[in-house]
Amino acid sequence: MSSWQQTFGVDPWKDRVDRAFARALVLPLLLALALLAWLLGDTLYRSVSVQVLKADEGPGKTYAFGLSANEILRQELLARGYTEEEVQSALGDPRERRVLLMQNRVELMWNTHEGPFRYVVTGLRDERIADFSLLEGLRRWQELKANLKEGERLVLNPWLDQSFLTRVPSRSPLTAGIGTAIWGTVWVLGLALLIAIPVGIGTAILLEEYVREGRLNRILEVNLRNLAGVPSIVYGLLGLALFVRGMGLGPTILPAAMTLALLGIPVIVVTAREALRAVPESLRLAAFALGATRRQVAFRVVFPAALPGMVTGVILSAARLIGEAAPLLLVGAAAYVPFLPNSPLSEYTVIPVQIYLWVGMNLPEFARVAAAGILVMLLVLSVLYFLALYLRNRFRREW
Amino acid sequence: MEILREKPSRNPKEVLTFAALVLLASVTLLTTAGIVLSLFGEVLQFFRRVPLAEFLLARDWTPLFAEPRYGISPLIAGTFLVTAIGLVVAIPLGLALAVYIAEYARGEAKARIKGTLELFEGIPTVVFGFFALLTVTPLLQKVIPGLNIFNALSAGLVLGFVILPYVANVAADAMESVPRSIREAAYALGARPYEVALRVVFPAALSGIVAAIILAASRAIGETMLVSIAAGQRPILTLDPRETIATMTSYIVQAATGDQPVGSTAYYALFAVGFTLFLLTLLFNILAQWVVERYRERYE
Amino acid sequence: MNALDFLKDHETIRTDPVPEAEALVDVRHLNLWYGKAQALFGISVRFPRNQVTAIIGPSGCGKSTLLRSLNRMNDLIPGVRVEGEVLYEGINIYDPQVDPVAVRRHIGMVFQKPNPFPKTIFENVAFGLRLMGVKGSELEDRVVEALKRAALWNEVKDRFKKESGLRLSGGQQQRLCIARAIAVEPPLLLMDEPTSALDPIATQAIEDLILELKEHYTVVIVTHNMQQASRISDRTLFMHLGVLVEEGPTELMFTKPKHPYTEAYITGRFG
Repeated sequence: MSSWQQTFGVDPWKDRVDRAFARALVLPLLLALALLAWLLGDTLYRSVSVQVLKADEGPGKTYAFGLSANEILRQELLARGYTEEEVQSALGDPRERRVLLMQNRVELMWNTHEGPFRYVVTGLRDERIADFSLLEGLRRWQELKANLKEGERLVLNPWLDQSFLTRVPSRSPLTAGIGTAIWGTVWVLGLALLIAIPVGIGTAILLEEYVREGRLNRILEVNLRNLAGVPSIVYGLLGLALFVRGMGLGPTILPAAMTLALLGIPVIVVTAREALRAVPESLRLAAFALGATRRQVAFRVVFPAALPGMVTGVILSAARLIGEAAPLLLVGAAAYVPFLPNSPLSEYTVIPVQIYLWVGMNLPEFARVAAAGILVMLLVLSVLYFLALYLRNRFRREW
Repeated sequence: MEILREKPSRNPKEVLTFAALVLLASVTLLTTAGIVLSLFGEVLQFFRRVPLAEFLLARDWTPLFAEPRYGISPLIAGTFLVTAIGLVVAIPLGLALAVYIAEYARGEAKARIKGTLELFEGIPTVVFGFFALLTVTPLLQKVIPGLNIFNALSAGLVLGFVILPYVANVAADAMESVPRSIREAAYALGARPYEVALRVVFPAALSGIVAAIILAASRAIGETMLVSIAAGQRPILTLDPRETIATMTSYIVQAATGDQPVGSTAYYALFAVGFTLFLLTLLFNILAQWVVERYRERYE
Repeated sequence: MNALDFLKDHETIRTDPVPEAEALVDVRHLNLWYGKAQALFGISVRFPRNQVTAIIGPSGCGKSTLLRSLNRMNDLIPGVRVEGEVLYEGINIYDPQVDPVAVRRHIGMVFQKPNPFPKTIFENVAFGLRLMGVKGSELEDRVVEALKRAALWNEVKDRFKKESGLRLSGGQQQRLCIARAIAVEPPLLLMDEPTSALDPIATQAIEDLILELKEHYTVVIVTHNMQQASRISDRTLFMHLGVLVEEGPTELMFTKPKHPYTEAYITGRFG
């Protein structure tokens, strides 16, 4: 080997190490992505099943696609042996109609023994004869169809459907819905943000625009850093001792929102400060040079310039808060709430807690209900993420 | 020159705005005070009934037995078992990813990786609990005989992935703050990229990396939903990852969802466990900050 | 003996000093510290009305610091301490009774890099006026007037209410910043290297503008460009290491510098 090759020549072994190293480093990302895909796929797969259902009352018919819920209920009630007058009066009274819809889930099945996309009315006391995962169910579809007995229906059931979103929880997986949990989440999150946004953004403005150093800044900074490290369940204990018991608010929406707000404040402070810091110092100087006071600089120049960033931050913080179950379990969210909340002092449950409760149920089909619930939650979260992403790109500024 | 005698900075609006902002910010201080005070009050009640020695030394946690015992060690053991398994997963994977983010990924790719991690972090842990219990555990049961349905292993493995983005992000930040000039010095000496990453940047950022691991551990200790769902709620003193265990957090959930009459020892025990958890995570956070301060390389 | 020790007790060389009656601003024995580091050493100088005064000197000589102490922008930097007086129309602006915000409302300032607010052109110019409580048609008239004086009107007149100030070119942005500063009719206009971020053509436009502004305003301009100083200024201050070395009419400074440092800087031997 000539001397220049010894000095400058390629060392094939080291080169290979170099490339292998770079490639190996991506593995964890791929692993994480694979896990994510697996989790999603698994949840989706679990949220669909093939079932044989036995009607508690009536012959257990299926109804054609396109019929209105009213019409389906009418036919179903007639098939169960009610007279035309009884049916008319039941459907005419809004309250009775609501009770009927609570006890009987009108559900669009992807496939039934009588053909695809037909409605099935599932009653509270209907019995599940068999429940198969999608692949096994499809494989044995013909066999199951041939063995159907009187009053039984064979259905391909997507657990996440429209009626799932509006129904209240139930002891039976067949009629369980996530409606109350959705409304509970809306109430709790809405009130929590109402508290957390002004506090979080106000604190951020104080730290970035008024006291960038000094003792007040240090105290607040250290405190915020430590708060951010406190496990969320500890906030739940705070809420339990202080709001639920101490203030006597009971296991209702208001203490839950207050607890969640306290949990969200440090997160909002961080994102709001980032947004404020992204506003170039030259704008502040320009405003000061024109004789603006601190308040005018902060609220007329910096705040509007940072607003898109702050909105994005708040949306992302809200997305974090939606998934919080632990602290709310301690302030009353684990309740069985068969009605929609209508005031800050209503009892409530929220989506992640409802999922947790379903996962803990003994009946295996509750896993399917939980999967449907998870899909709802992930859907809501992705909407929020894309909204945040859109806003971030839409208002990205070149200074 | 009348204008120079005006006092716009002392306008009542200015003063009021500042006061309002300080008032808002004080909520964060009150939160801390609230946590400490509310926990402390209930904890005092607890220690009036249960001697501190029993809490620290007894080896059973059986608040609901006819003769209740309140020894926290099974809960601590459970917490550390799950956390340790999580860290075994998260440290190698997270650090590798951190090196990739800080040293190899550029521009778009880096933004996309960070976005993916953000997405991962945003998934509620109740979802991971569902996944661990219903998917990972049955799979592991086929490989590992004697694995309980609720077990520390499955919860810990999934927990590793939950804290992975955290390790990766914080460690990557630490590596990215190593100045360019140091990398260039190494390249100028003929180092290869992997040598620069492993022998120059990694050691230079070590304090930040250690802090990242400590913070991730603290987060794992406080993680609640995943372990309550997948690891079970049976407080026994064991380090066998196949066993059903209870962590501090899962005990709190279990006790809070069952109805504890206010004023019962079991109710106060909830807060004793919560206070222990609070102190432990606080300790970890302070430790992480201390490591960063104490061992930070000062450039310039 | 290093240069600072040599200069510290230096008595400023003054050619044709400005009489007290002609001075809009009278700086007396101004010392300024950033923390423990002293940045200005016993500066005394007068800025005459309706003239352009240029401050030149090598980077780090304190010329921007001096400029910023004329409208108390330095107060925004934590740890700044000032001794001495800056008399503006006979009032010491560092008097504890004087609010720095009021000072800045009265004195205009233009920065090195154009820094328009992310608002419309109109709102940019109206900002200072709104702070003073100007409203309605008067506001509108004065915005237009300022845009005209800043020689920007013709270029933006059909879009100035809708278009963001950030959409303008660099030179236009700087003229917008000048319009913003002069909209409140400040008797004194401070400019901190206003053309250093601009191309030659935009620079020319700004220089022309400064010569016109002289009619209404007193201008103090910091520049690192000696040609610029000689083209637009009536008087020049040369600073070095926080010390005012020499001051006098621009022509004389550039043709017959008295201090060896001034001569060295002007002839390009250091800085």
